[in-house]
Amino acid sequence: MILHILNRSPGSSLVYREALAGMGPEDRLLLIEDGVQGALTSQARHFESLGGRLFALREDLASRGLEGRCDASVQVVDVDGFVVLTEEADKTVSWF
Amino acid sequence: MASTEIARYLEVEGRQVPLDPEGYLVELDDWTPAVARAMAAEEGCELTYEHWEIIEVLRNFYARFETSPAMRPLVKAVSQALGPEKGGSLHLMKLFPDSPAKAGARLAGLPKPANCL
Amino acid sequence: MQYPTVPPAGDVLVILRHSPHGSSWLREGLDAALVAAAFGQAVSLLFQSEGVLALVKGQGPGPLGQKGTSATLDMLAMYDIESLFLDAVALARLGFSSDELQLTARPVDQAATAELIAGHRLVLTF
Repeated sequence: MILHILNRSPGSSLVYREALAGMGPEDRLLLIEDGVQGALTSQARHFESLGGRLFALREDLASRGLEGRCDASVQVVDVDGFVVLTEEADKTVSWF
Repeated sequence: MASTEIARYLEVEGRQVPLDPEGYLVELDDWTPAVARAMAAEEGCELTYEHWEIIEVLRNFYARFETSPAMRPLVKAVSQALGPEKGGSLHLMKLFPDSPAKAGARLAGLPKPANCL
Repeated sequence: MQYPTVPPAGDVLVILRHSPHGSSWLREGLDAALVAAAFGQAVSLLFQSEGVLALVKGQGPGPLGQKGTSATLDMLAMYDIESLFLDAVALARLGFSSDELQLTARPVDQAATAELIAGHRLVLTF
């Protein structure tokens, strides 16, 4: 399993498409920084192909006031959860 | 990378040629064969035909690729130009002890190779 | 168009996503690839998204004389970096075909991209 990390929002950058293209069937995607906008109910459709493999960083959601606005398909993790995701992954790939 | 800091001057045929703190040319256009001879003479070394062959390969490499080669591509470039024996790292180490890529680039009047320890 | 059938493997995959001249990302990615190769790593490059423009023929220096990346691309073979891939969809979207490029790179689709990423120990995006 590879952990892909995306820090740009679907509204401002198409890099999310390449992130999705680069993902294998077991891989996970973690949204951080501006990337957490992709976790909004209005945006999460861009990532619907991921099923339960979409994560968003709580700290970045909270600082943007978006914590309660996440789509049900998104698993919210804090920094410790980020560390666990990293440990469970064979490697990480950053998309920015 | 080429440094623009002048640490000292090398006297070559009455000209003062500026060198950076690591002994590379500040102005790459200052290079002439006499500059290479003067640099080598400072280190107590006289350049032989075999040195000049490598210097030419280095200068051609830079002219084509705009970069000084690290050891691995230098070996490859010398092998392609002069044959595998001369491209062996032993031959290069004998001519330019310690670090052929760095010492060779200096004598050939190129910037210090970047991707090279 | 041909896609690789066997997942290509190597030590380091450098993904280049930025076009020449607009930023230093492309140059930095190429530098990272050269350093890895100079230390004996098996390096692959994937030109993705606007990064495919790095492969277009006929590039030169910038208007103020800034060095381009075209000479560096020619140099890749001297560092034994010969495992080159490109994002076929991006190339087509920008209106180029493979025979208009400076170097030969294998076109990859979405599935091959994922295999490429999985097949390398370290993946760096630029």
